[in-house]
Amino acid sequence: MLLPPNGSADELQRLRAALGLDQPLLQQFLIWLKNLLHGNAGLSIRSGEEVSTLILSALPVTLQLVTLAILIGAGAGFISGVLAFRYRFTPVRNSLEVTNAMALSVPEFLWGILLMLVFGIGLRVSPFFGEVDPRLMVEQQTGFLLIDTLLSGNPAAFLNVLSHYLLPSLALALAIAPTLMRILYSSLNQIYASEYMRSARLRGLPERRLLLVHALRNAVLPALNLMSVQAGMLIGGTLLIEKIYGLQGIGSLMIDAINNQDLPVIQAVALVYAICVLMINQATEWLQHVLDPRAGV
Amino acid sequence: MTPPVLSVDALSVRLNMAGETVDLLHDLTFSLHKGETLAVVGESGAGKSMLTRVLAQQLPDNMQVSHGAVYFKGENLLALPAKQQRQITGREITYIPQEPMVALNPVMTIGQQFSEYLQHLGMNKKRRHAETLTALEDVGLQDGASLLKRYPHQLSGGQCQRIMIALAFISQPALVICDEATTALDAVNQNRVLSLIRRCQKKYDTAVLFITHDISLAASLSEQVMVMYAGELMEFGLSNSVLNNPRHPYTQALMQSRPAITGPWQPLIPLQGHMPGGSELQQLKGCRFQSRCRFAGEDCTNRIQPRLLDDDSHLVRCLITPSDEYHPSSPDEEDTFSEHYALGLLGTSEPFLRAENISKDYISGRFARRSRKRALKDVSFTLAPGEFVAVVGESGSGKSTLAHTLMGLEKKHGGQIYLHDKALGHSESEWRRRIGCIQMVFQNPNSALNPARTTASLMTQPMEYRRFLPSERRQRAQALAHAVGLNKKLLPCLPQDLSGGQRQRVNIGRSLCDIPQLLIADEIVSGLDVSVQAQILNLLLRLRREFKISLLLISHDLAVVRYLCSRVLVMHQGEIVESGPPQQVFSSPQHPYTKTLVNASRSAEGLEPVQ
Repeated sequence: MLLPPNGSADELQRLRAALGLDQPLLQQFLIWLKNLLHGNAGLSIRSGEEVSTLILSALPVTLQLVTLAILIGAGAGFISGVLAFRYRFTPVRNSLEVTNAMALSVPEFLWGILLMLVFGIGLRVSPFFGEVDPRLMVEQQTGFLLIDTLLSGNPAAFLNVLSHYLLPSLALALAIAPTLMRILYSSLNQIYASEYMRSARLRGLPERRLLLVHALRNAVLPALNLMSVQAGMLIGGTLLIEKIYGLQGIGSLMIDAINNQDLPVIQAVALVYAICVLMINQATEWLQHVLDPRAGV
Repeated sequence: MTPPVLSVDALSVRLNMAGETVDLLHDLTFSLHKGETLAVVGESGAGKSMLTRVLAQQLPDNMQVSHGAVYFKGENLLALPAKQQRQITGREITYIPQEPMVALNPVMTIGQQFSEYLQHLGMNKKRRHAETLTALEDVGLQDGASLLKRYPHQLSGGQCQRIMIALAFISQPALVICDEATTALDAVNQNRVLSLIRRCQKKYDTAVLFITHDISLAASLSEQVMVMYAGELMEFGLSNSVLNNPRHPYTQALMQSRPAITGPWQPLIPLQGHMPGGSELQQLKGCRFQSRCRFAGEDCTNRIQPRLLDDDSHLVRCLITPSDEYHPSSPDEEDTFSEHYALGLLGTSEPFLRAENISKDYISGRFARRSRKRALKDVSFTLAPGEFVAVVGESGSGKSTLAHTLMGLEKKHGGQIYLHDKALGHSESEWRRRIGCIQMVFQNPNSALNPARTTASLMTQPMEYRRFLPSERRQRAQALAHAVGLNKKLLPCLPQDLSGGQRQRVNIGRSLCDIPQLLIADEIVSGLDVSVQAQILNLLLRLRREFKISLLLISHDLAVVRYLCSRVLVMHQGEIVESGPPQQVFSSPQHPYTKTLVNASRSAEGLEPVQ
């Protein structure tokens, strides 16, 4: 691939030696690992740029996207779950269930396209391509555009960036909110049948307090568990969503790399994905420890 | 005279099922005065919990009060606006739940739960803390301040129980309802809890409604006893007179199906059949007990009003005249056993199982925080064919650990178990040998039976992975059903369609499938109603006669132990501190722990049992 089609066997041999492909597989891996520890993930075969710079410039986009998606998804999931339970004997619950089923039955990339068609192209209420309006100049400080615009004191630009992120993160959120709502609803149901809820009710505590303090704190725990599982899904979802919305995050970096068979980039991005998933898992586990006094005993 | 704290007048609760209605509670009348205790006795399905639901205004949607009234301090509770009702629940009427461990919110500290409740009662922040500490001291928890920072899972069951009592009395209520608060406890702990409730009751002059299925316990702690059956009041009177001179056939039957801890050994006469419920009640006319009553006659299908007996405080809903004397036992029952038979005085044979110096530690924590806790220490005993041996002791004394170790569910750390003079190891073939000889009956049939399997498949489950024809399996299922006294029609049923007693029979039948030599039974009758318990106890005696099985019974009920077993091992802190025939151990206990245990059981028995 790096050689012209008429390259000689001699040239091939030299290139193999330069790329280290003449070494045994294990050694190749160890060399890669060693370089990685020094912050060197190699060069992109396609562009010749440092892979680490590529990733560092792309990572903030994805992180902002994922964070927003989690915030929106978790928020929507929790609120709808609690509302559905609170009004479980009224039509509110049914309508939430229907919305839920709709959100669940459409994959997130399709939501991405649908949202783009409706709000971006049809109603023209929201931008749907790129990270920020090209006419706006934002001083780069951290790489996180949302933070940069705030740091440079430019609220208009902040809102602009936010609106660019809104549709893609909404599409991602639609993937996690429905299951969260279901889990929350069913665990609330279970908890309401428990002895301590009965005792608390017999103590005459008001219904609102029973739900928001006694039941919810217990119901959050299984929901949190689910979140950590879904984190992996969420990050996988960024691949297509970023591509659809033209965001230069590591998702689109990955897709480009796969198209170009750019192995060093694929390798490094996969590693970044793995680290992200692990970190989210750690974070939820830590939260679990904070919220559940029984954990870790 | 001040009005009674609680007065229930001709209360009926109606259940609507698909257009049809049934009175689950029917024509219930009683009253309870300040500082008094009323015990409500009845088996499951008698409507006891329905009564508490009415008082707490927590009836399910498909039930409603169809008739009658509940007066609390002279006001009709049912007619009050919702806001005032809520004011009463939790402030004037409080509850002590059955299982303290699950009655506290696991993610809130004890302090948070107290202060939330007191805040709801309208107490300011300063007073809350002080009040909580006093309340905890009242129930014997001295170290209140540190306790308040802890979570429920960090406390023992006893501490949780005390906290629930403190919570129930902290608002100085007029009425406390104890819903089977001591059912799961052994005699020592039961006494402790009861005396605590009594002390708090005296302090605040509270009325207590004590709900229980144990008639002797009821009589020992309350002034008045009310016996309920299938939603109706059967007998109401002073404890003394109800216990010593029960007038209603149902009360009499209850007394007869309960083993006694003293006196000569008597066979139990269990009630046959089951309590009518749901749709059966609808077709029933007149007395609801008639289908199981020995004295039932034609008049019993008429409507029967409760009537006062001569001494003016004893109320009975039955037609039999008071002159019908109470006969403790009737010799015409076919299923009677002689004491000789029952206690296995069959002559001694060689023991087939020897346990020598079994010890076991529980290890918790890792590395530096690793700690060992002795669970079993040098436990030795033998078991002969057909011998029934009981293990008694308080919770945490290692009874269940011993059972699990013997069964091989947990590994021992020292000692040896010899089965037919061969040491038991842990290899696959040894495991086969072990489960061929030893089987376990688990405590709770509701959770021990797979809800997706039929009775027949549950009972013959051990045959599943071996070469048996389906017809052989069917035959075995029928034989087992016969052995445990289960109707063959029930074989294709799922556990959900069975009653509690039937489930326990299936549970026992399953362990009998391979005809083991030893059954290990961990508290198998403790959750059952008295009449069902009697059935199961007699079943075990009959199984011994048929299969010559031995039994290792783990129990906290000394009366049950005395009824079944020829030898008792008393365990305390992982050691066997005393052993011998129950008669001897219970009449002249040697070890201090045995003494407290026996005394506690005696006082729970209350008055001398009926002779």
